[in-house]
Amino acid sequence: MTISRRTLIGTSLAATTTAAIGPAHAAGNVLRIGIGSSLNTLDPMLVTIGDEYIYTNLAFNGLTRMSEDLVVQPDLAESWTYSSDIKEWTFKLRRGVKFHDGQEMVADDVVAFFRRLLDPANSAPSRSQYDMVESVTAPDAGTVVFKLSIPYGGFADILTDRQVKITPRGAAGQMATKPIGTGPFKVVSYTAGDRLVLARNPDYFEPGAPKLDGVELRIIPEMSVKIAALQAGDIDVVWDLPLEQVKPLSARADLRVDSVPTASWDGAIMNNTIPPFNDKRVRQAFHLAVDKKDVVELTLFGQGVDTISPIPPSHPFFAKDLVVPKANPAAAKKLLAEAGFPNGVKVAIVVPVGRPVRERLGVTLQQLAKAGGFDLQVQRVPFSSFAAEVSGKAPLYIDGFFSRPTIDTSLFPFLRSKGSWNDRLWHYSDEAVDRALDAARLSGDPVVQKKNYIDFQAALTANPASFFAYTVNYACAYRKSIAGVKTHPMRWFDLRTATMS
Amino acid sequence: MHMAAFLLKRIAGLLGVLLGMSVLIFGIVHILPGNVAYAILGEFASPAAIATLEAKLGLNDPLPVQYWRWLSAMLQGDFGMSLVMSRPAAPLIAEALGRSALLAGFSFALIAAGGIALGLYAATHHGRTSDKVLTLAQFVLIAVPEFFWAILAVLFFASWMNLLPATGYAPMSSGVASWAAHLVLPVMVLSFGLVAHVSRLTRSSMLEVLDSRYVLAARARGLPEGRVLWRHALPNALLPAITVLAIDAGLLIGGIVVVETVFAYPGLGRLLVFAIERHDLPLLQVGMMVVTAVYAVANLIAELLYAMLNPRIRVAGATA
Repeated sequence: MTISRRTLIGTSLAATTTAAIGPAHAAGNVLRIGIGSSLNTLDPMLVTIGDEYIYTNLAFNGLTRMSEDLVVQPDLAESWTYSSDIKEWTFKLRRGVKFHDGQEMVADDVVAFFRRLLDPANSAPSRSQYDMVESVTAPDAGTVVFKLSIPYGGFADILTDRQVKITPRGAAGQMATKPIGTGPFKVVSYTAGDRLVLARNPDYFEPGAPKLDGVELRIIPEMSVKIAALQAGDIDVVWDLPLEQVKPLSARADLRVDSVPTASWDGAIMNNTIPPFNDKRVRQAFHLAVDKKDVVELTLFGQGVDTISPIPPSHPFFAKDLVVPKANPAAAKKLLAEAGFPNGVKVAIVVPVGRPVRERLGVTLQQLAKAGGFDLQVQRVPFSSFAAEVSGKAPLYIDGFFSRPTIDTSLFPFLRSKGSWNDRLWHYSDEAVDRALDAARLSGDPVVQKKNYIDFQAALTANPASFFAYTVNYACAYRKSIAGVKTHPMRWFDLRTATMS
Repeated sequence: MHMAAFLLKRIAGLLGVLLGMSVLIFGIVHILPGNVAYAILGEFASPAAIATLEAKLGLNDPLPVQYWRWLSAMLQGDFGMSLVMSRPAAPLIAEALGRSALLAGFSFALIAAGGIALGLYAATHHGRTSDKVLTLAQFVLIAVPEFFWAILAVLFFASWMNLLPATGYAPMSSGVASWAAHLVLPVMVLSFGLVAHVSRLTRSSMLEVLDSRYVLAARARGLPEGRVLWRHALPNALLPAITVLAIDAGLLIGGIVVVETVFAYPGLGRLLVFAIERHDLPLLQVGMMVVTAVYAVANLIAELLYAMLNPRIRVAGATA
């Protein structure tokens, strides 16, 4: 057979094409998760965004962990006890756990980590949550003792936090580039803008886990491209699916879409110290002007629940029997007139560009509040400038906060007078709210806590700090070949039991 | 003026441009809204933590002091640290630049070859249906922005046809086929608009040359049409195309930012967007300096090529 130039080109072209079609999608037993932004840092103590929390929960362990149904479980700590005044907490460590470099994890590592976290010079973002820790010591290699300045019943709960992951002592300098943990997966490589590659940790302390050979976090900023990549099988999971995609993607046979309630909330933040929202009646009028159920439908496409406070309606402490006044625009106008605004209120509402759900919330409120006498002018400001220029300064703006590990940490800093977040958001102060929040954290008894949190929600309804619109669902899409993963309301993944077929 | 003197003068100009741009880049970067300390510490940061970090990073020094510190370090080869990632900026930029250069290189070759070829085809088929169809296609390609083509290409080739990977970059080590497959869509989208741009220009300059007296003279002397086209008309028609290719090198850099973002391709454009979003000023400044340098050098090369092809320019030193 003579080979002409044309057939030669034809065959080699065909060969390249088939080669490109096949192996381009092959990945062995490596789970590929599509995330939105590059990780800023690999140092687990310094992470601040959801994309990074996924990584810290794969490569590291805390003393305690939180399951998908929000139950606190042992992790590196096998068990714990607290003194009768709830000011001294003793954790017994799991023994024989090895870091990724082969060193054994002991109490000194835990102590070194917390000292590093508590040192103001290290600017750890979560330090303020642990300012009740007076000392942390290691009486022996398997025991860690925390002494607190105040009684704190939720201490084991806040140790599930995404930034409190145990790292080897003396290795702080390398955490940004060559991080070492005890987690089910270890870091292989990281390329900003491309991917973080993790491999199975063969020495992981739980027998039989993990089942995957590895995990890749693929950084794909454009959502439509991420979804196309999922449909093409380039990736296996889309993390944090936009809520408008839940219904259309659920219809596909090769995908599974999960939408779960969380304690993450969005709202309209009202500054309680400057007009017009320094007047309680104006804040009440805003609540009368807008029906929160409409807000959920228009902003979240139904993928969320209207709420009273950051306590999500799915939580046992939610005040489901509390009577909240129904939306009534005429009553809102009347209340505004009593407050000295007979012609209604005209005020700017600042929305964060780059946070599409919150942008939509701003526009929804602008439309819905009109009937109640609120003339809102939408101002768009980049989200990256929010912390420096808008938070705590603008009279009215849209913001929101991700789920925190406990009800106390979601409420106390925010709504207690002089709370760290209260002073940076709305400057709110209410005696009944303060009393309820103080009483709740002083008790370890869920019945007492529940009563106090219901009192708190009643007091907050009578004197609103701001407009808590809803708690929002969190959704992920999986290829059907993935099993053994539950969607975690804290927006990270527990992949110890995940499998691929 | 000799070629050497011309070259020296141009290189001196290039250094002046880079110095001027360094002042501009430093200044612009510092009036960006937001604050790097907030960007690093995230939404849970306390004001005290912010103040500590600002002092640590030297953000409280006067701007000229910060500028001088930056410039002198850079002249000594120290390109600083990425504040956000706590890694040296130079290797980050170098890796990203390498991957972008790959995209840019393939695209540029495609733009030059495709643009000129299509332009010549259209000029020699002036007024026929094929020319009209090409013209229409070119206007559509120029008018519709890259991000639209990019998303359309992903939907078509990755999602529906399942022929090419939707995103990302594969290193050579994962196989040549996979490496090449990851480059096809970004290179294609990046080239679309500029191929159209170059071919439009080549077409009109070729038409102009074909209309000139010396081509008429050549034809009158009975030279074969092929010889008239390739030896007489083409070299002159290509001069404007070279200039426009140099300008397009700048457009290409702009396009790369968009294309890399859509295709999640880990190049310099992505890195710059990351640096802007996170207020990673050292990384941003160095990245922008690199882009400036690339653009300035591309222009220099174009100018040298132009001067070589057209002696009038280096004799008169006419171009700025």
